[in-house]
Amino acid sequence: MARVKISEYRAKRIILGDLYRGLELHEDVKLPRALKGEWVAKVDQGVKKRFKQGLVAIGSRAKLASALAAWKKKGFSRFIVEPFVPHKENEERYLSLERVRDGVRVLHAKAGGVDVEAHPEAVETFIVREQADIKKLAHGMKLPETFLADLLEAFNANFLAFLELNPLIVRKNAAFPLDAAALVDSTGAFFTRAWSESDIVEAKPTSPAEARVKALDATTPASLKLSVLNQNGSIFLLLSAGGGSIVIADQAELAGAGKLIGNYGEYSGGPTREETYLYAKEVIGLLLRSKAKRKALVIAGPVANFTDVKRTFLGIIDALSEAAVPLRQAKVKVFVRRGGPNEAEGLALMREFLTREKLLGAVSGSEAVITKAIDEAISFIRV
Amino acid sequence: MTTKLSVRRRGTILERVRNGEDGILAIGNHPAVIQSILDLDFLSGKRTPSILGIITGNRKAYKCFFGTREIMIPCFKDLEHVPPHARTRVRWMLNLQSGRRAFDSTMRFFEAFPQALGGHIFAENVPEAHAAELIRRFSGKLIAGPSGVGILVPGHLKLGAIGGIDASQLEAGKLKTPGTIAVVSTSGGMTNELIRAVAASGHRVSFSVCIGGDRFPVTPLSDVLALAQTDPQTEALVYFGELGGSDEYEIAELLEKKRFTKPVVAYVAGIIDEAFDEHMQFGHAKALVRSHDESARAKRDALVKAGAVSPATFPEFLQAIAWLPRAAVRDTVADINALMNRTPSILSTREVVDQSEIPVFVRAGKLARRSENAFAASALKALLGRDVSPITAAYAEGVFELLMDHGGAVSGAVNTMVTARAGKDMVSSLAAGLLTVGPRFGGAVNDAARAWLSGVASGKDASDFVETRARESSLIPGIGHRKYRVGVPDPRVAALAQFATLLKKHPHYDFARAVEVATTAKNGQLILNVDGTIAALFLDILAECEKYSRAELEELVDVEFFNALFIIPRSVGFIAHFIEQKLHDEGLFRLPEELLFVRPSGKKKKK
Repeated sequence: MARVKISEYRAKRIILGDLYRGLELHEDVKLPRALKGEWVAKVDQGVKKRFKQGLVAIGSRAKLASALAAWKKKGFSRFIVEPFVPHKENEERYLSLERVRDGVRVLHAKAGGVDVEAHPEAVETFIVREQADIKKLAHGMKLPETFLADLLEAFNANFLAFLELNPLIVRKNAAFPLDAAALVDSTGAFFTRAWSESDIVEAKPTSPAEARVKALDATTPASLKLSVLNQNGSIFLLLSAGGGSIVIADQAELAGAGKLIGNYGEYSGGPTREETYLYAKEVIGLLLRSKAKRKALVIAGPVANFTDVKRTFLGIIDALSEAAVPLRQAKVKVFVRRGGPNEAEGLALMREFLTREKLLGAVSGSEAVITKAIDEAISFIRV
Repeated sequence: MTTKLSVRRRGTILERVRNGEDGILAIGNHPAVIQSILDLDFLSGKRTPSILGIITGNRKAYKCFFGTREIMIPCFKDLEHVPPHARTRVRWMLNLQSGRRAFDSTMRFFEAFPQALGGHIFAENVPEAHAAELIRRFSGKLIAGPSGVGILVPGHLKLGAIGGIDASQLEAGKLKTPGTIAVVSTSGGMTNELIRAVAASGHRVSFSVCIGGDRFPVTPLSDVLALAQTDPQTEALVYFGELGGSDEYEIAELLEKKRFTKPVVAYVAGIIDEAFDEHMQFGHAKALVRSHDESARAKRDALVKAGAVSPATFPEFLQAIAWLPRAAVRDTVADINALMNRTPSILSTREVVDQSEIPVFVRAGKLARRSENAFAASALKALLGRDVSPITAAYAEGVFELLMDHGGAVSGAVNTMVTARAGKDMVSSLAAGLLTVGPRFGGAVNDAARAWLSGVASGKDASDFVETRARESSLIPGIGHRKYRVGVPDPRVAALAQFATLLKKHPHYDFARAVEVATTAKNGQLILNVDGTIAALFLDILAECEKYSRAELEELVDVEFFNALFIIPRSVGFIAHFIEQKLHDEGLFRLPEELLFVRPSGKKKKK
């Protein structure tokens, strides 16, 4: 379950439907010729505080065209173009919706553009639990009831998790969201056609290794995650289990070695030998590319419930075998702590392999504390 | 403190589990998880498995071990097919389906089993909106997940992968021994790590719930805490949490308000986050307005302030667990090796005939008296797997006699004879005859049984039944004869019909007769024939004399039992025709040319 950002264009299409007159422009698509009157162009890649960064342009077609050209030079590739709504600043309001445990939480402020985090006192909060709440809410917040009802329906039907309209202009029964930001629940992709993978925007560019793991993760019921933290780190982590992996990373931070960590990630949910091989290959690749002088690999995790230690370790050994020579040349040592189904066999295979290839740091099982391998790796790096 | 979850008329959920309310229905199959549940059942000394069935398509049974003995767990294609005796025992859902299907199947489960106490949804990737809807509807149940590894009540219930899957893991975590420490975690792997830590420190677990790492767990942490507070077995709580969310503030508040009064040892992971410039790696997209700081450090501090023990490092956390007050531990000895070295069989069958029982034919120079219809009785025993009453045996005997042969002109006999004449052996010739048995020859008894069963089950009027069939222009099996008609009754049918007088009621036979009234009104030849009579009365006899339920009768039809009533005696007839052919060997059979009508080929062109 993850909340991911979709483009502003898609968010507005979802909430306004066919009434929305905005356009979505990708890098290679040009502005339409017949663009009369005043329009707004914005970078649509999930970037915050666009106005301050000069990523919003207002005016005629010519003005927008030159702004777009400048943004493309900066490396941006996704834009939104829409009719300008002239308004007074005091018309601007703030409205957001978020799915919470017991319904949809609605935040509203009479002043738009507000930094809600800094001004909680300016914000009214309400939780919509059932249909009847909408009428009360519309009345209380002085918002058009049909607009609010349609908004909530679009929110619920299309697996939105968070939606922020800021500023929002309200005139009698019409509402014009000037800026919109939306997070969708990525697990809803199967159930809705209103948005798809291609509408998801990412502010932070991913590295090739991260992108490959992400692609792999999308094609298996198991979970495979990878983030590069410090490409020239000394300790690279091949961890299993979502919670246990944080405990192990915590231990590094507590020992004052947080900055030595090259990556964070985890595999869990019973990946196959092949999936584990492909995942391990990416982590080992990061380790080999790091320019740190002394390097260690930590293969660790808690005592698994059902992920087979032998099977996943065979996949890791496949990946280590391919890189055995450069790993040895870089004097890398491998530290292991893991437990779970087929623990004894998995650990024995790993110990035998690491000994043969002269990569052995230490191997321990469920009798050892979960943080043992990371502690050993830190001592090895600090010698 | 009381909530819907913790106190009920029949005791808390945990008390009810410990009193044996452990029946699990699995939705979807995960062989290793299912086996681990059966293993814990066995190690805990249960006589019967807690798993009552598996909802899965394309099979009726799934073979597992209960101890070292193999058992068949029944499989059902949907919830409606769970039989009444299992239905009344269902208390728990083990939902092993994917995130795409879990919501739908969970809704249907609790609609079908409103008395269920809870469940576990194994899938990750269940949409937030679906989880929110499950919360709205089923807040009174104990539901672990979506995601995570489930619920454990040592010695009583293992609902999911929790605590491991192989027997050595169950032993290492001491899962069969009830204890005093509640283990609660969002993370599946850490749940097991904590269970191990509790066991290794000489304590035992009272119960454990893996809440799951999803944003909206169906049963929230506060409800699990309420369960721990009201549970007399639980003396302390061990908790693992992570950065993000505000669960730990709930624990802190409950501690401060003295609504949770037992010792809490907690670890909140995520200090590593402080090493990064941004929260990218762990931080979820959270609300814009936060009432609390969601960092690991802030949450840990809040817990400590409220009186919990929440050390900074994991080794210190383990030490704190070890220092918890100890209760007397009574582990029972279990032979784990026997469970670790099991080889499953590759085929399953049943002892058809008791080979150790040697019949006595002659005693003291005289023929020993054997019961009447002994062959029919023993054949039915082999086929049905139970002893049958004299009426049933006598009926089968009669059927065997009537169906033994029907002359040399019928398809099967012709094929047997033609094959024998081609110089083939007995088995080949018999097979040629038997291979003819099917929808148009000899298969009518089974088809008729299906028709009468569905007719009676539908509760429809016989004339409506006939009308429906007529509209579909489908024939009714068991109806119609070439020779006999109204006014010229089939004497064999009349003989069989006498069996009806031996029964208290005979709904299938009555229905068949009512159908006959409707069909003969249209055409005098559409009488109830021998096949239809055999089927109708056999259904009634099995129901009354052998106590077969409707579902069991349907099963017999599905496995073609009624075809056996034809095949067994008719094999004798075919063999008789074979022997006859061999005794008077006339050489290879060839159809006389004049008996063949040869249509001219349309493709030939005149020159």
